[in-house]
Amino acid sequence: MTRPLLALRNLTVAAGRAGSAKIILDSVSLSLAPRDIVGVVGASGSGKTVLSKAVVNWLEPPLAKRSGEVLFEGRDIYAMGGADMRSLRQRISYVGANPMGALDPTLPVGVQIVEKMRAVVPGVSRRDAERRVVELLDAVRIPSARNRFHDYPSQFSGGMMQRALIVDALVTNPALLVADNVTQPLDVTVAAQVIRLMKELTTSFNTAVLFVSSSLPVAREACSRILVMDGGRIVEEQSTEDLIDKPVYPYTRELVRQTPRIWGEPAATPPLNDRREVVLSLRDASQIYKVRKKAGFGGVNLVRAVRNVTFDVRRGDSFAIVGESGCGKSTLMRLLCRLELPSSGQILCSDQDIAALKGKGLLAFRGRLQMVLQDPFGSLPPRTSIGKILEDPLRTHRWRDKVRIRERVLKVMGEVGLPAELYEELPLGLSAGQRQRVNVARALVLEPEILIMDETLSALDQAEQFKLIDLFQKLQKEYDLTYIFISHDLAMVRKACNRVAVMYLGEVFELADNERLFFDPGHPYTKALLSAMPTLEQRRYRPEECLLEGEPPSPLDIPDGCSFRSRCPQAMNKCSRVQPSLTVRERQDFAACHLIVPPAASGDTGAAHRTMRRS
Amino acid sequence: MFVLNFLMRRLAQGALIIFLVSLLIFTLLRVVPGDPVRLMAGGMAPEALIEKIATDMGLRDPIVVQFGRYIGGVVRGDLGQSFVRPANGAATGGATFNDTTRGERAKVLSLILEALPMTLQLAAVTLVIALVFSGIVGIAGGLAIGRWPDKLAFYISSIFISLPNFWLGIVLALLFSVKLGWLPAIGYRGFAYTILPAIVLAVELSPVLIRTLVSSVSAQMTEPYVAVGHVRGLGRGRIIANHALRNASVPLLNLLGIQFSSLLGGVIIVEYIFDYPGLGLLTINAVLQRDFPLIQGIAIVTSAIFVLINIIVDLVATTMDPRLEY
Repeated sequence: MTRPLLALRNLTVAAGRAGSAKIILDSVSLSLAPRDIVGVVGASGSGKTVLSKAVVNWLEPPLAKRSGEVLFEGRDIYAMGGADMRSLRQRISYVGANPMGALDPTLPVGVQIVEKMRAVVPGVSRRDAERRVVELLDAVRIPSARNRFHDYPSQFSGGMMQRALIVDALVTNPALLVADNVTQPLDVTVAAQVIRLMKELTTSFNTAVLFVSSSLPVAREACSRILVMDGGRIVEEQSTEDLIDKPVYPYTRELVRQTPRIWGEPAATPPLNDRREVVLSLRDASQIYKVRKKAGFGGVNLVRAVRNVTFDVRRGDSFAIVGESGCGKSTLMRLLCRLELPSSGQILCSDQDIAALKGKGLLAFRGRLQMVLQDPFGSLPPRTSIGKILEDPLRTHRWRDKVRIRERVLKVMGEVGLPAELYEELPLGLSAGQRQRVNVARALVLEPEILIMDETLSALDQAEQFKLIDLFQKLQKEYDLTYIFISHDLAMVRKACNRVAVMYLGEVFELADNERLFFDPGHPYTKALLSAMPTLEQRRYRPEECLLEGEPPSPLDIPDGCSFRSRCPQAMNKCSRVQPSLTVRERQDFAACHLIVPPAASGDTGAAHRTMRRS
Repeated sequence: MFVLNFLMRRLAQGALIIFLVSLLIFTLLRVVPGDPVRLMAGGMAPEALIEKIATDMGLRDPIVVQFGRYIGGVVRGDLGQSFVRPANGAATGGATFNDTTRGERAKVLSLILEALPMTLQLAAVTLVIALVFSGIVGIAGGLAIGRWPDKLAFYISSIFISLPNFWLGIVLALLFSVKLGWLPAIGYRGFAYTILPAIVLAVELSPVLIRTLVSSVSAQMTEPYVAVGHVRGLGRGRIIANHALRNASVPLLNLLGIQFSSLLGGVIIVEYIFDYPGLGLLTINAVLQRDFPLIQGIAIVTSAIFVLINIIVDLVATTMDPRLEY
């Protein structure tokens, strides 16, 4: 047996001073052979990130090593001097979860990678270093790497930046790469590409990887062996497939059980009939922002954030709007809430144009449509008691009787599962899940008909998400609510929604019922999204077949024709000339792609739109 | 391309600002009480003569007409002639009304061009002293937040900000010129005369620079790229010198743009105390003598300098930090 590349022996790390210290890593031992790719998964707070930092000798106060050792090729890295450790950085590298903050914003990306290479590899000439960096930037498929070398971090998207940091980590040909939640900030299609690249490169460079992730399916994509952490200890270690098939430790079993299945389970939400009342209807709604051009003399660029969106939401729907960052879903949310007025088109709420509402009518509309925000921490005022937070909307909507207000608030708190004792408490001590319940209660207190959930669940862990989804479904039955979920999380959508709109670059590409969308998607982009989803199941769609390399084009410069053609493996000649419009596939299912053949074969674009409005 | 666009846009804005400043100054000077002709011709001059001189000089025309005439000259680079100063540089003010030297009154532009280099020299020396001193104190403080260098920086800036400059000027002159005889203090006969006033101004300028440096350096040291840089294998010295200071200098630079402008204003008292023949002294005398063309000229030139400095500062800041958009 070969000597392990990395070995941790009873490593204990604590936070805080000796008296009141909290143990973060509790006597962790593990070993990693050269060229091994090992995953570490665990819930938030289980000590994964501290483990990844401890391995690269990056423990900052209040964290401190208590006992144990971290052996890299047999040498304890905590017993080394600063200079030795620095030269060892050539062999151990690290990529973190925050690509945007990792480099100095005022210097070009390439220059900083060259600087690092020359700092840790003695005697490399600037020319050689530059050549190597450009070569690697090419290898991670950064388009026109030679030019991008001179771009600044702010000119890179999150996905590009994460690729650049992988280059930064691999440029010195390290023996060990520690990857801490590298895909967390990325969209699924980009994350899938990044993982694929990382695997390719580490294989060709013979690099071992310690892959830390909060998501079991992501770790499964990347690793052959997985360690499970819980409460600062390593509780289970198995090969990836065995771990998923036969988890032993209770936490692991829970983790595997809670990981959502997309295709393995029937939809939780049966398709509803299409003769229900339309409560919210978008007619060709577009939103265009003007931004000043930096170069050139004056003039503005037009950001077409939402483009000709048309769909109906019916009473009782759980309508999902999904898409990756920059697809316009947040702008659409602002339009739906009438925080902004569309630059063209209409939004009708019960056949009334919401742009025309004023005064009392607007207040009544706000009472009917409420929203729940994404960030459970930023969205609650920290110095206002929970009771007061929930009373405020009622007061705004002209409730005056104190006793009735209190009654109403307590009733809503009960419905969302908040104990009545919290009435006088400040939100400071609440968990993210409880805070999100306060947010839901604040929206529900006015007895709205429509709730808009803007990434409401994305800040919560899996177990808490499930509980809230159950709560939403219970409330929906009770009060005949209509939900609009804005989300990037397809697993959540599969579980909670009956109807889904897929957006890309401001356009709706596909609109279909849950079952149809996940089992028979009409648009190649939907297939790409599904193929990129991390899941524990056998995939229905293979990412290699569904998605070309690259990232969405900038909304400043949307290509003619179909805006997806730059990444679509099925792009044809026609796609660069004619923009496909939503075409009917079946009663309620539409997709905007030239490959779709309408069932009656008579459905030209106008007919498709007409069908939609009628249905 | 960006630089050209930037300069064109900002210079056009600057020209507008200067025009508005001169309009404002021009109007204000003419509505305040005090007749310059009375001062020029002397208290004994007959009323009719004063009216004649005033009409000859166009001072009885409507303000708009006067301003139009004036700005026409400014565009051609002619800031007019001083009301009171003769070109030969002899006595100021006119004690007698049968003034024979009227044709040789000094050009405003040449008066300013004489004084301006002196003030710019003073300002430059001040900046060098202030930057070196605050750089050492402020960067050391920012790198050791909560420890003694930080506290020292705080004490120094607190003391400096509470010293009035006229008092400090007199004390320093007393100490270094009168008692120790190391540095000259009054007037100007060589570079050494710049040092004492520059120290006084630097003491006034330093506290703001020190506080800005302490906070921006310490803020940069908590940025993720510093910690990540360490893990990427960059040494602490390299991270500080190449990255943290580079980022921290952007707020300092913006501050300097404003401070340099107020420095030009702040020299008035200090130049007066040290009898330093710069723009400040010229301004005081011009105001005391109701020398309208000179006051206007100084206002236009100083506002032009303000505008230029801020354009330069913004341009340098954008080359340092590409995210900035001006």
